[in-house]
Amino acid sequence: MKTIFVNCSPKKKMSVSGYLNTLAALGIKGEKVKEQVRNKGDHERVLSQIKEAEAVVFSMPLFVDSVPSHIMNFLADMEAFCLEKGLAPKVYVIANNGFIEGRQNKALMQVMQNFCKRSHLPFGGGIAVGGGVMLNVTRILFPIQCGLVVFSSLMNGLQTGNFMLREALLAFIELALVMTVLHCGVLFFGARLIKAINRRGECSVGYTRMMLPSFLFALVADIFFIIISIFGGGIFKGWLARKTEEQ
Amino acid sequence: MRLLIHDLPEKWDEILRPKAEEVFRADGNYAPCQGCFGCWTKHPAQCFMKDKLQTICQKFGKADELIIVTENHYGSYSAAIKNVMDRTIGLSTPFMTYRKGLTHHTLRYGKKKKLTVYVYGDMTEDEKNTFRLLAECNAVNFGYREMELHFAASAEELEGVMA
Repeated sequence: MKTIFVNCSPKKKMSVSGYLNTLAALGIKGEKVKEQVRNKGDHERVLSQIKEAEAVVFSMPLFVDSVPSHIMNFLADMEAFCLEKGLAPKVYVIANNGFIEGRQNKALMQVMQNFCKRSHLPFGGGIAVGGGVMLNVTRILFPIQCGLVVFSSLMNGLQTGNFMLREALLAFIELALVMTVLHCGVLFFGARLIKAINRRGECSVGYTRMMLPSFLFALVADIFFIIISIFGGGIFKGWLARKTEEQ
Repeated sequence: MRLLIHDLPEKWDEILRPKAEEVFRADGNYAPCQGCFGCWTKHPAQCFMKDKLQTICQKFGKADELIIVTENHYGSYSAAIKNVMDRTIGLSTPFMTYRKGLTHHTLRYGKKKKLTVYVYGDMTEDEKNTFRLLAECNAVNFGYREMELHFAASAEELEGVMA
């Protein structure tokens, strides 16, 4: 039982796709191998891993409504490789996108299913997560907030002798509840996908999202990009202007 | 201005030239988008990678009509065409808005007239349906008011379909 997790993000670190692969891998039994395809130089290595795999899990970001271009190249090589060697690992897909609606990944999922048909590979299903970038925010914020709860409890305990354990516990439960609500779709459909992968079975594609109203998500994203653009300097370089090549 | 991008061999540049004021051949010899968002946050509408696609979104921005000629790959654009499209994120701004009830980014260059996509090559019915969905999503995403999609069984049949 060998499962290959292919991170399809071009990012070297802090990719949501890699994070989702790590989360999914937690529930998978048997041998697990994590790989990443960033350019053509990675193809041979990843294909040699796929040779011995029973399941391949692709985790990818949505780029312009579909599969990123460097992965289109990899899929073509994988099709030729699997047909030539007579391989038929089951293919599962985890997609994430910057917009809040997970259903914006529909075309991407269809492209992956079409790829499977062309390559004579069984498609096992998947999950598409809207607002995926929020996962990067929560994975940083949650440990920080937990750390702050522990810190304030400790400081209080050292100063007054009262560690306020009850308050700390309540604060932690509140944080955990907020996290659970935000991620409930990812947790539910993720668990369903993990179950399907473990029995090498199939599940339908679950389109879900971070459980946040879209207007609130848009507001958070706007603030996030304003801050990043101040630090990046773009805000001072014609941030929203119609740039032309002559400029 | 009409801009045409295609993934066909070089000789097609001449055949396609009457269709648009500017013809861009996607040869696939450039780096894929790195997903850094620098074209939003650091150097607007410009990529940090210094290749032929560094200012491609500015070229797209100038055109009010975009014609894409692409080989079918699983119901999506060929890797060469998709590479160009992935590098045009700077066409939009980081700000969010709603279009057709879904969240999208606001458009740096405003709404555009028309997106026309010609897909050639061997295609299954499922792949055609995927392309219909994909081109529709692209038109909304890039802000094109109209969208047309045509299929040709091979590159040779393209001329007839495009006539």
